[in-house]
Amino acid sequence: MNKKRFVQFVIAAMVFIAADIWIYTSLMGSFTAYVEEKNYDEVALFVQTAPEEKSEYAKWLSQVEEIIPGSVAVYLDYRDHEFVPTVGMNAATDALWQQAGKSNAFRQALESSYYLETIKLRDQYQVRYDLLEPERGSTIPTDRTKVHIYFVPVIADNGYEALGTVMILVPSTGILGFTRLLRIFAVGAAIAFVAILWAVMLTRDPVTSFMVLGLMVIVLIFVAYPLLEALRLSFMKNGRFSLETWKLGLSPTYIVALWGSLKLGVATATASTIIGFMIAFLVERTAFKRKRLISILATMPVISPPFSLSLSIILLFGNNGLITTQLLKMKTFSIYGLGGLTVVQTISMFPIAFLTISGVLKQIDSTVEDASLDLSATRWQTFRSITLPLATPGILSAWMLVFTNSLADFANPQLLAGSLKVLSTEAYMIVTGRMNDLGGGAMLSFLLLLPTLTAFMVQRFWVARKSFVTVTGKPSTTLADLTSKQVRTVLSVVTYFVIGFIMLLYLTIVAGAFVKNWGIDYTFTLSNWKAVVDSWEAIKSTVLLSLIAAPTAGLLSMIAAMLIVRKNFPGKRFLEVLMMTPYAIPGTLVGISYIIAFNKPPLMLVGTAAIIVINYVIRELPVGLENGITALHQIDPSIEEAAHDLGADVPTVFRTIVLPLVRPAFISSMSYTFVRAMTAVSAIIFLTSAKWYHLTVKILSYSENIRFGLASVLCTVLIIIVLGVFGLMQLLVKDEKLTQKSIAMR
Amino acid sequence: MEKKSVSVTLNNVTKIFKDPKGKADVLAVDNADFVVEPGELVTLLGPSGCGKTTTLRMIGGFELPTSGKVYIGSDDVTMLPPNRRDTATMFQSYGLFPHMSVFDNVAYGLRLRKTEPDAIRKQVNEYLALVGLAGYGERAPGRLSGGQQQRVALARSLIVTPSVLLLDEPLSNLDALLREQMRVEIKRIQRSLGITAVYVTHDRVEAMSLSDRVIVMKDGKIRQIGAPDVIYEKPDSRFVAGFVGKAAFFPVAIGERKEGVWHCMLGDKVVHARSAAPDIVKNSEGVLMARPESLRLVDKGEGHLDGRVRMNVYLGHSLESYIQTAFGEVLVQVDDPNARTIRKEGEEVSIEFPPDRVRLLGKSEE
Repeated sequence: MNKKRFVQFVIAAMVFIAADIWIYTSLMGSFTAYVEEKNYDEVALFVQTAPEEKSEYAKWLSQVEEIIPGSVAVYLDYRDHEFVPTVGMNAATDALWQQAGKSNAFRQALESSYYLETIKLRDQYQVRYDLLEPERGSTIPTDRTKVHIYFVPVIADNGYEALGTVMILVPSTGILGFTRLLRIFAVGAAIAFVAILWAVMLTRDPVTSFMVLGLMVIVLIFVAYPLLEALRLSFMKNGRFSLETWKLGLSPTYIVALWGSLKLGVATATASTIIGFMIAFLVERTAFKRKRLISILATMPVISPPFSLSLSIILLFGNNGLITTQLLKMKTFSIYGLGGLTVVQTISMFPIAFLTISGVLKQIDSTVEDASLDLSATRWQTFRSITLPLATPGILSAWMLVFTNSLADFANPQLLAGSLKVLSTEAYMIVTGRMNDLGGGAMLSFLLLLPTLTAFMVQRFWVARKSFVTVTGKPSTTLADLTSKQVRTVLSVVTYFVIGFIMLLYLTIVAGAFVKNWGIDYTFTLSNWKAVVDSWEAIKSTVLLSLIAAPTAGLLSMIAAMLIVRKNFPGKRFLEVLMMTPYAIPGTLVGISYIIAFNKPPLMLVGTAAIIVINYVIRELPVGLENGITALHQIDPSIEEAAHDLGADVPTVFRTIVLPLVRPAFISSMSYTFVRAMTAVSAIIFLTSAKWYHLTVKILSYSENIRFGLASVLCTVLIIIVLGVFGLMQLLVKDEKLTQKSIAMR
Repeated sequence: MEKKSVSVTLNNVTKIFKDPKGKADVLAVDNADFVVEPGELVTLLGPSGCGKTTTLRMIGGFELPTSGKVYIGSDDVTMLPPNRRDTATMFQSYGLFPHMSVFDNVAYGLRLRKTEPDAIRKQVNEYLALVGLAGYGERAPGRLSGGQQQRVALARSLIVTPSVLLLDEPLSNLDALLREQMRVEIKRIQRSLGITAVYVTHDRVEAMSLSDRVIVMKDGKIRQIGAPDVIYEKPDSRFVAGFVGKAAFFPVAIGERKEGVWHCMLGDKVVHARSAAPDIVKNSEGVLMARPESLRLVDKGEGHLDGRVRMNVYLGHSLESYIQTAFGEVLVQVDDPNARTIRKEGEEVSIEFPPDRVRLLGKSEE
């Protein structure tokens, strides 16, 4: 590195930091002086309001806190040539008096009171506020705190005699909020300046450095910071470190919820994997006809709102369900609970298993199966000894993914859990409930994170590594039909049953939108559609915010992918891990940590549209990033180097070369983000405000309040919007097939 | 098109690739120090992994030297990114923009320089004609043959009139015939533009036929710099001798040096040889290097080394005789083979070492 430039850099940084410190201390000094003067005036005024009767002094003294937050007043009566504390003493002031009452400073101050002078002690004193009972007031500090002490004489009616004096303790933490903010800005400015200076002076390519810095700032503020804040809060109680919250988490109530989540996760993951495998096998490994159609229909639930199927299950099998009550006249059947929830989650999540497993099956070269058959193994032997072992990593991956999704699911349990307790809804309840216990919510979400993170890690670093399948780039054209006619019939029947059930559920939602009062009065009506008018604002803001989030997430993830694949910089691994983190984190935890971190200065974002968009973007970045990285790995780096060499700077290379080449990945990230943003519930439910409402939250609340007609209407609208935009974006990608082909060429 | 040629100077340039785990750092280029004169075509020649491409990429700005400086002309460009250097690189895989037509590929550099559209059209057509691709402008690069893609890359590099042209094994993806054609083409264009060029290859024939000077590299170190004939005829190490052509090596005892000629003992015969190798000391052991075409076959007992013909391989313009000797098998090339010069298989012969055609090298294997 260039020594001269480094010295210049150090000097410039020092000069700035010195200036920064100077501004900080000046501002602090003048602000402190201002506050102290104001306090001085206020205590003096306060003492003038002393009541006539000494019996009212206690009440009077307790009012001091309303004037100066956190302050405490004690009245010292003047009798027998001595000031004696009489009113308002408590454990904290008692300790102070014992310790310092006989000191010179106090003696002089009391003498001044005798001569009717108001005085403030020069030194600050430490007071054991923690000795006070916490109910005394919310603004009182709960720790050992430094205070300024004022002595203000109470003057008798004759005007020249001191009746006594009031000792007022004013905590210097009164201005703590302001100083904290000032410190954050001072430190932030210094860091920002040094970072920018470093990028400009010491790096060869400032633009890349700025992009890296920008991404670092984004993930540090919106991924690391809220999670750390949430973790911190879960270890706090009344402002002090405490394990109480975690002890609560390990109490039987919540262990039952954890157990419930795990039971549900295992059931859903197993059922989804079995169904996903059967359909994937039918589509990829047999001479089955309608493969394309089945693939499309089977992936439908992925792009519809996660709880729309819960809604239609309730319509069909609920307490007043069409099938259970009206058709079958069942009295005691209840869909609410583990069984119903497993069915709904399986239907919503088996497409994940289907896509994962069919991806793996597609890549198994069928010649190995042919070879096995050729060596006179039976079809069953071939399946058991060849196909199944090769597909096992894929099957395990699918199981883990569905398991993670099931645990993180919030909306379906919210509607269907019944008496079953699961962590995601318990966390929501504890946060929105009477206690408004954010720390508890954070703790429960972290509890939920343990199994999901474990599954994610196992899937990522163990199962994925075990994979035998190598990508040869040419999917085999011939297909060994591994199934006998009977087996294929069974598989087809299962597939058609599942697909038919999905269709039935969607049709139910549409039907629900046109029925007067589901369960009671099935006459046709359009009156439900007034919900569209009522929720017009919610629809508008949902679509608008999703439309903002989609290109933002798309662009950010492509830029990040370019940096990670093509550039070398310190902290690259760290950046990548932080960007991928939201993928493994349940939405509930994201939502809770966001309200913990961004409902206070300096980032007061709760209630704005920004926090909703940021939440969408941060949560969908990992998928876009993966897409981008995969796409870039397939592009010869010398294409970008050539452009760079011909005079294009990094942003120009990105705009004219990288973005057009990764366009399919870019568009699919955008459409993915859009769909996920439109159908998000678990994190968003914590972040919506009166102004920025989300359609899914509205549907959820309609469903909870048994306004099924209205819920069905909004659900239908949502599905139409999502399908429309998704289809449009798919068309855009299809257009790019030509480009894709030529990227592969050298 | 005319532009003043400039030199390229590498000043003690070293590149170490850091292993992220800090265990196995790779010394890719070790203290490279040379000057490419204005208008000169210099080849970096060496086996794969010798650091030649890394050296080129440091000139182009794609890698940052760990230490040392790179100058283009008299400007220190060490810290400049590629887009701010007056160099143009032709990549091994061409790096054509697959989403643009041939015309747009070639026009890319000009568009970045905000050239007028009319001027762009004129110049692009001019350069496409220069590389023999007039009329191919509207094609997609994916629909051209390897040689045509290569020419598009060349036109794209040249159109921005760089001071220095950097070529990274540009011919390695072409078949043998096309390679020969393009070799001539590149040299012709480079000469006519008078552009300074650095060419990376592992193919000695390419290096010999193209360059004004060759830099032979191994394990990140420069082993020898010189004109092709110097490198071939007067290598100063066994590695260079073996890498740039076929060579036979014989262990000798080094004796006196008289008038610049060393007297060496090969067995009991005295052989005279010159040397440029730095590590030659009197009364030590050395290695004698001879090219197959420099050796002559004579009757038994008349030459310096006796042997027997084991096999003859007839190549038309020459014949390769494999001679079994006390020092192993030695290849002797017989030019213009005819009945008079060909020795039959199994015949006892002797190999003669013409004094000016053999070189004395240090004993080291390198």
